[in-house]
Amino acid sequence: MGPLTEKIRVEGVSSLSQSISPSMGELASQKHVQFIVSVEKKKDSFESVVMEHIRMNGAYWGLTALDLLGKLHVVDVEEVVSWVLQCQDDSGGFGGNIGHDPHLLYTLSAVQVLALFDKLDVLDIEKVASYVAGLQNEDGSFSGDMWGEIDTRFSYIAISCLSLLHRLDKINVEKAVNYILSCKNHDGGFGCTPGAESHAGQIFCCVGALAITGSLHHIDKDLLGWWLCERQDNKTGGLNGRPEKLPDVCYSWWALSSLIMIDRVHWINKDKLIKFILDCQDIEKGGISDRPDDAVDVYHTYFGVAGLSLLEYPGLKAIDPAYALPVDVVDRIILDR
Amino acid sequence: MNEDELRSEAKMVDLLNQFEHILESDPHIDEVGFVHPSQFFKLNEEAGHSLPSSDSSADENSVFWNEDHKLGISTQVLLPLYKASKDAFMTANRQFKELNSTSDVSGAENSLCTSPSLDDSIESAVMKHSRALLLLSCDFGTAWHSRKIVVLEKHELSSLLDELLLSALVLSYSPKSEYAWSHRKWVIKSISEKCSTLPEIVTKESELVEKIAERSKMNYRAWNHRCWLVSYMTREQLLHELKRSRNWANLHVADHSCFHYRSQLMLKILEDRCYEQEISSSGYSVEIYLLWKDELDWDEMLIKRYIGREALWLHRRFLSLFWIKHFLTDHTGLSGHGKQKTSMNNDFSVFMDNELHLLHSCSIIPDNSFDDYQAQAMHSATYMLWLIKQIPDSCWIELQEKLKTENLKALLNKVCPERSSTWHCLMGYVEASDH
Repeated sequence: MGPLTEKIRVEGVSSLSQSISPSMGELASQKHVQFIVSVEKKKDSFESVVMEHIRMNGAYWGLTALDLLGKLHVVDVEEVVSWVLQCQDDSGGFGGNIGHDPHLLYTLSAVQVLALFDKLDVLDIEKVASYVAGLQNEDGSFSGDMWGEIDTRFSYIAISCLSLLHRLDKINVEKAVNYILSCKNHDGGFGCTPGAESHAGQIFCCVGALAITGSLHHIDKDLLGWWLCERQDNKTGGLNGRPEKLPDVCYSWWALSSLIMIDRVHWINKDKLIKFILDCQDIEKGGISDRPDDAVDVYHTYFGVAGLSLLEYPGLKAIDPAYALPVDVVDRIILDR
Repeated sequence: MNEDELRSEAKMVDLLNQFEHILESDPHIDEVGFVHPSQFFKLNEEAGHSLPSSDSSADENSVFWNEDHKLGISTQVLLPLYKASKDAFMTANRQFKELNSTSDVSGAENSLCTSPSLDDSIESAVMKHSRALLLLSCDFGTAWHSRKIVVLEKHELSSLLDELLLSALVLSYSPKSEYAWSHRKWVIKSISEKCSTLPEIVTKESELVEKIAERSKMNYRAWNHRCWLVSYMTREQLLHELKRSRNWANLHVADHSCFHYRSQLMLKILEDRCYEQEISSSGYSVEIYLLWKDELDWDEMLIKRYIGREALWLHRRFLSLFWIKHFLTDHTGLSGHGKQKTSMNNDFSVFMDNELHLLHSCSIIPDNSFDDYQAQAMHSATYMLWLIKQIPDSCWIELQEKLKTENLKALLNKVCPERSSTWHCLMGYVEASDH
């Protein structure tokens, strides 16, 4: 599984040109680092406090962005690790914050954050893996938690999480793959459940899960590539997540990483996409927004930086398109090097 | 804690009490929103309180506005109100979990010790505070979960129905709330096991999605909820929904999610019909043929009226794909006999002539045109590429006499030269196919 995603990485980006033209402006790396660090300390507005139930996701976004920018060391590792562990529930799953109920969404983020710091050994791996594996249903799908909502996002999370923990053998991978394939639509895309509308975020989850399990041969790559490349806006160069929607920086991750995994990234105009992401920066205060001139947030900052990393923007660490973690982190865990 | 902190703590609790009192005394609130203090005066004016009344002196300082079952909350108090409701909920929830775990461990023995009234008061505190919290933070998952546990313990239809009211209220201020939609699904599944009023609930749910879709365009979770309802629909409901959503789509031609919903309704009707036919082993019904034909005609009419709408062209891709698959290829009930085979080829010619005509009329760009016409030409050309990819080999030979792929490529490069690499890749894919 590891060598396979490595192969995607190498082949997928080999066709990328290194022509970052000077007219595009530059990535304000230092400002973005300051912005990410300041978000964590901000607790005086309703808008920041009301997101506390998804703080684990926020930690993953912010810390991965910092790592891609080469600045993970500004963070106090022990403080983060001890907080992550306090969010673990007796069931083995993680909540979005201390005292919150566990859910797969936060469990993957917790594992990813620990992976960034090379601290997976603090976990009772068997316990976390049992929680995740216990959420697989008879038809191969996964529920997000004990309350049973099913979504291909949860299939991805389970597969990515168990692969990082070297415990994929705890689930029925074949059934999991078949369920994902049952969510494929006639337009080549994937939705959250069978028959649901194709969505670039769901496509990332399905393609990522298939990549990790070595099942990409089940996809009609040209048909999916067609749908994905039609997400690029002719004027701005940005990508949207569904037909008739406005372009949004976060799809510079969801759609772009999918195109790379199926080796169809040359179907879009990469230079225009780089320009779009750079245009969404707040040059003065740092941070990246969904579209030019909108308010910045840590979510779009991460996906903007991650998108640029996929596009081999200079000065950024490379990111793995399937695991959504820096390549060196994935190599350390999956390839043990 | 110093005196100042104590005072502000007490103020926060007061605020929460006031909020919960309003929610308690007006159980039919159907809309909630966050309002800037300067808008309170305007709200009162609109509600017909233009003259200063006895309580309007307090209005300047008031933080809630409640009229006609609508609730406005001043943006000024959101932070303290949120903190108070979260603290109150988390405290109640901790007690509730402790209570549950002790009764789980040693069953009946322990439940004798805990008084039922204490159970009830903790449960009602969880319900009261989680409601307040969810009206401020819609995706606070732990609060939704605890409500499910309480509702399950009650075993009452009425408490399930109350959950539908609360989640609708949450959706009124946060129409994309993932947890609110998922809570509804959970409630409806629970109800479907209990009672027979499901068709009514399905109809009401569908209406709710339509109402929300009006304000929140292309809301993925909302439309997905409606697609999920399809499996619960009777045949009459499917047909009714098809009609109803057509009226809506006529006014929202860019809402791709609505067209996807229609495709799901049509596929369900087709699937049910196929099942019936397997039993009776007759050919495809005229009804399905007409349903598809009618949709193709309607879509064409919209394409010509609303220039350059991607959603309309993508819907056409779907319609054509199933048209070719079910009415024009060998494995349908229409083929098999010599006479029917001829009619199939005839049908194909008629269908393709119509599509070529549509391509032709949509690829003309007037001199003083706007971007819409460029988009229309681009969508018509990629639609034609899609068709070429889908049709059977024998039909492609016939079609090549009338259509050259080079012409499509030239058209695409003309209307959108900056995407030339995309067109190059797409052409390569289409031409590399079996044809």
